[in-house]
Amino acid sequence: MKQFMNGIRQGFGDFGHTIATIVNTVLLFIVYIIGAGLTSIIAKIFGKRFMKTSLHKKSYWTDLNLKKEKMDNYYRQY
Amino acid sequence: MYILGIGCYYHDASATLLKDGVVVAAAEEERFTRKKHDVRFPINAIMYCLKSQNITVDDLDYVGFYEKPFLKFERVLYQHLEYFPLSLKTFLSSIPSWINQKLRVMRRIRKTLKYKGDVLFIQHHMAHAASTFLASPYKKAAIVTVDGVGEWTTTSYGVGDGNNIHLMKHIAFPHSIGLLYSTITAYLGFSVNNSEYKVMGLAAYGIMDRKKNPYYKKLLKVIDIKEDGSFRFDLRYFIFQHADRMPSKKLCKLLGGPISSRDSEMTQRHKNISAAVQLITEDILTNVLKHVHKVTKLDNIVIAGGVALNSVYNGKILRNTPFKNIWIQPNASDGGTSMGVPLYIYNTLLGKKRKYHLKDAYLGPSFTTKQIKKFLDSNKIKYSTFKNDKELVHKTVELVSGDNVIGWFQYGMEWGPRALGARSILANPCNPKAKELLNTKVKHREKFRPFAPVVCEDDALKYFDCDLPVPEPTDYMLMVYPIHKKWHKKIPSVTHVDGSGRLQTIRRNQNHLYYDVIKTFGKKTGIPILINTSFNIRGEPIVCTPYDAYKCMMGTGIDYLVIDKFLVKREDNPRDMWDSEKYAKD
Repeated sequence: MKQFMNGIRQGFGDFGHTIATIVNTVLLFIVYIIGAGLTSIIAKIFGKRFMKTSLHKKSYWTDLNLKKEKMDNYYRQY
Repeated sequence: MYILGIGCYYHDASATLLKDGVVVAAAEEERFTRKKHDVRFPINAIMYCLKSQNITVDDLDYVGFYEKPFLKFERVLYQHLEYFPLSLKTFLSSIPSWINQKLRVMRRIRKTLKYKGDVLFIQHHMAHAASTFLASPYKKAAIVTVDGVGEWTTTSYGVGDGNNIHLMKHIAFPHSIGLLYSTITAYLGFSVNNSEYKVMGLAAYGIMDRKKNPYYKKLLKVIDIKEDGSFRFDLRYFIFQHADRMPSKKLCKLLGGPISSRDSEMTQRHKNISAAVQLITEDILTNVLKHVHKVTKLDNIVIAGGVALNSVYNGKILRNTPFKNIWIQPNASDGGTSMGVPLYIYNTLLGKKRKYHLKDAYLGPSFTTKQIKKFLDSNKIKYSTFKNDKELVHKTVELVSGDNVIGWFQYGMEWGPRALGARSILANPCNPKAKELLNTKVKHREKFRPFAPVVCEDDALKYFDCDLPVPEPTDYMLMVYPIHKKWHKKIPSVTHVDGSGRLQTIRRNQNHLYYDVIKTFGKKTGIPILINTSFNIRGEPIVCTPYDAYKCMMGTGIDYLVIDKFLVKREDNPRDMWDSEKYAKD
């Protein structure tokens, strides 16, 4: 009996997990199409690039200038 | 003052504990969970660090994390925006882990550790830079960091001066030497973020002549390299920016075939492609280092990032560039950033005096004689006990020179990916069949991969064409040097096809038993060199505990285990429940 109940519990767990994965995927798909898609299309219309891709510059080094900052900055995750 | 550094969620999760400016414990999570390159929150490594000092989280003054998660997430989002709609699949597969895990680092630290103190976030490449400069012997040095990618940066350079680090310039994602190497690794059918060193080993079998290697010129088409070492990809040859694979169809066409399958045999074409990517990596790094020297005008160079594990190139740095001294920490890739974080907090942010110079890599868990005896007795394992160190050394030498394979378990576990005489397998390098013997009995790895020699630091120059003085990174198996020609036939098992060896040098003050075994072996055979390979089976992390070591020995063909002052013979003990061989995988 105990084994049977454990099986049922396991089955419901797996079922819940599958439903959650499907719902998450559908929601993320909508976010991708509307959020990322619209932003990307609008950006491309205005010529905005999100990555540096052009070749034939004299040098590809760019300024980083990373050094000790105010302590407060290190509490931030950005 | 205690500061804990944490790195996780990408590859090689790890933790490091700093006590009053000195690293007292450091380990990677994989060694505890037995899952290679484990990315998960390193709770076991953290617990080891705290336990090693008999402290709790309440004793920590700061906890530091090895990157700025939101900056990295910004880069991920930008990738999806740039490559819409091609990135749909990776968006659906990667975003859940960001929402559930990677953007909740603070919550995870607070909840899992029940820690209420300050949590600081250090930029990824600054953590790399600090992990090498602040652990180095130099007061002032040029710094170069090169890896796959951090938040945005893939390559950076700057100067370390006293307690301060200034990273001046960088190259940003998607242009990355690490990702170029990984792309070719994937193309050759090896696993990314794991098998890059196999490509490095395979390269020696290819044509290492720029004019004669047909793939060298072809690969130059995918990357624009400037004289100052800066570079940029032609992104038509890559798809890692938006897909879960790395080479594009255009790159496959350029290299004359599809991506190799995992088990495919390595042909001369594969070997030449490996050689080509190694040559291009060396070209770029030489240009970068020459440029950095020109800008900084310093003699000392410290390097960090996954590319700093390219030991073949590391051995050429002092010959190919104007730098006079080099230092690299043993865990140069992402695993090592958890060491950079607390050092940066202590030395740079808090401005406290630098006290630390990493002189050996034995920062992981160690076990007392009493603990090991208890393990052996409670598992009814048959063993003998050495009367003293002298007997231990002589018996080990007798066994190795008799062509036995020895599991060697002493001191604290190594920090970093290499076994350095704490969790090592030792064998006789003079035996021409030792390579086959080790592969058949234990390692089951690709035939083209060489085994590494270990030599006492004071004997290194006799056998290897090293830089003078022998650089400290050779202690951590980070430099490949040519073996003098007259020794090639005497130590065939550790001489790679190109006549080189990825040597480890050992100093007596680091590990006196290991040093004495090598010296005594030298007295007996005339060659003070041993084969040193990692104590694990293929696909598993290096062993951590006596249990792991015994299980590894019993499941393989290791003949003897020298563990603390005890000697265990495999044949004296029943195999049954200890058979680890069935777990072996890539």
